[in-house]
Amino acid sequence: MDMSTFMQGLTTALEPMNLLWIVIGGFLGTIVGMLPGLGPATAVAVLIPVTFGMDPVSALILMAAIYYGAMYGGSRSSILLNTPGDGSAIAATFDGYPMARKGMAGQALAISAVASFIGGLIAVAGFILLAEPLANFALKFGPAEYFLLMLLTLSAIISLSIGRMVKGFIAMLIGLMLSTFGIDTQTGVYRFTFDIPHLSEGIDFLIVIIGIYAVGEVLYNLLTIDKQKKEKKKIGKVWFDKDQWKRSKWPILRSGPIGFIVGVLPGAGGSIASMISYTTEKQISKKSEEFGEGAPEGLAAPESANNSASVGAMIPLLTMGIPGSGTTAVMLGALIMLGIRPGPMLFESDPGLVWTFVNSMFIGNIVLVIINIALVGLLVKILDTPAKVLYPIILLLAFIGTYTLSYSAIDFFLLIIFGYLGLLFKLFDFPIAPLVLAVIVGSDMEQNFRMAVLSSNGSLGVFFQSPISIGLIILTILSLFYPLIMKLIRNRKRKHASEQRKGA
Amino acid sequence: MKAFKIGMPIFLILLSVFFLVGSLRLPKANLGNPYGPLYFPIGVSLLLLIFSIIYFIQELRKLTEDNEAIKELFSGRTPKLIGITILFAIGYSLLFERAGFLLSSIVFLGALLFLINGPKKWITNLVVAVIFSFISWYAFSEMLGVSLP
Repeated sequence: MDMSTFMQGLTTALEPMNLLWIVIGGFLGTIVGMLPGLGPATAVAVLIPVTFGMDPVSALILMAAIYYGAMYGGSRSSILLNTPGDGSAIAATFDGYPMARKGMAGQALAISAVASFIGGLIAVAGFILLAEPLANFALKFGPAEYFLLMLLTLSAIISLSIGRMVKGFIAMLIGLMLSTFGIDTQTGVYRFTFDIPHLSEGIDFLIVIIGIYAVGEVLYNLLTIDKQKKEKKKIGKVWFDKDQWKRSKWPILRSGPIGFIVGVLPGAGGSIASMISYTTEKQISKKSEEFGEGAPEGLAAPESANNSASVGAMIPLLTMGIPGSGTTAVMLGALIMLGIRPGPMLFESDPGLVWTFVNSMFIGNIVLVIINIALVGLLVKILDTPAKVLYPIILLLAFIGTYTLSYSAIDFFLLIIFGYLGLLFKLFDFPIAPLVLAVIVGSDMEQNFRMAVLSSNGSLGVFFQSPISIGLIILTILSLFYPLIMKLIRNRKRKHASEQRKGA
Repeated sequence: MKAFKIGMPIFLILLSVFFLVGSLRLPKANLGNPYGPLYFPIGVSLLLLIFSIIYFIQELRKLTEDNEAIKELFSGRTPKLIGITILFAIGYSLLFERAGFLLSSIVFLGALLFLINGPKKWITNLVVAVIFSFISWYAFSEMLGVSLP
């Protein structure tokens, strides 16, 4: 890595205006992330329009801060209300909420903030080491490899929707279908425009994102709005004691790298990272019986892991332009809207931007840990603001955001349709990430596929030519059949065990 | 509730048939391979149809199982709440460019607050609707230079 560009990024991120954006973004993100049921994806989707008219670097810094803030905020509602905002915050409820119930809310908040902070730092270090080599590797990718990489990402994200893979496929296919709307860039053919001129440019995927993550989530939360419990919690001193730190120290340091690696993998992300680190710690702990009853390390480990995963997930996003999860897909949407095209070339063409981004995540971590510990009283007060007031405001923001995309109220109807679709998906327990991901990478996927086939005069053999392609195909097949293989192995073991029992 | 539960797979099957027929009827390209723009949508909609049918069969098998979220949907005031929210949103979409941002947003936000937060808290509702609409109008159109109607 070039040290001078890194330093340049650091100085840019430290400019007073940019620091201010980090603070504002972190604060706004924390607030939206704290709302029960809403997570980082919603926070970024709703707050995208705030970056209008800003220069791309500041806008990027603001988006990163919002994303990060929402991760921190998500832990607040997990710990205090037992309502995680998204998948990656679920593991924080296992021990965080019991701690809060035992009157240790302050300690829990402090541990979670510090663990997130350290996890984030570990991951930023990993980012610096890994990002550039990976970008150089990605330069070798042609259309065929890109197509296969996207296929792998989609299949990985589907196979992770364990127990509902059929629904995952349906979600992905709807997303792919939506991505074909509009003029076909290779031939100029109009597809699915229904004679509406506005649709000739296709459906802006930001509308899909805002519709599903903002409108859909709010509609879904209306189901339980009259039942949301009011819990007054005494926060107490926001710091942990020596014993808690001693128990959490190593779990935090172990979970950081685990989370980072999981985050880099396509399709995985924060939810898997935090689950893996939680179960790992539970297995190796001498006090595993305390897990689930308010063990500080049971909170520290997943918090460290999910934060470092969120940084790790930025690597495939920035180096290859491929988001690994729903939340990073939303981030990709924000980047593209700012005129930044992530991919291997970004590191060549705009290293200053990349390193400013990385440094702003680093500084954002520091700022957020301060916000979350110093301003905890204020944050808890905001958490007291009735959701009944905040949800309508989020709806209004979703509409404003949509309007700023194309200055046309026609998009409002699309927004409502996707909001309703989002509600249906939640009601019928469909995973949302495959749909969002497919909408975003869909048209690139198709174009890469056709370019690859075109370059080989119509032969599909082009997908089996390079070792990279073959590796990607093998990984795709493995990811799809992994759940099945695991099931077979488990069944066989069980059979084996029962036979042994019979024998004995 | 059963009808609603089985409605989803049926809707998906109809949707995929719609896409499949639409894909088959797409115009051929004058440039390059005439079927180039057709392969992908046809393939995707065909797969969508297959998976929707699998889903339909899966759902038929467990039609009698309870789904908490859907139960919630049909309980108390929720169906009304969601339906009216969507109606308000449609109204807002129609009103937005005609009545201008500020007026339509105050009406929309106010209406939502009265619906969700309840008419008892009408002072809060009014204050929030007016102030928040005004702040967002000021922030977007004055500070960020977004031209709002």
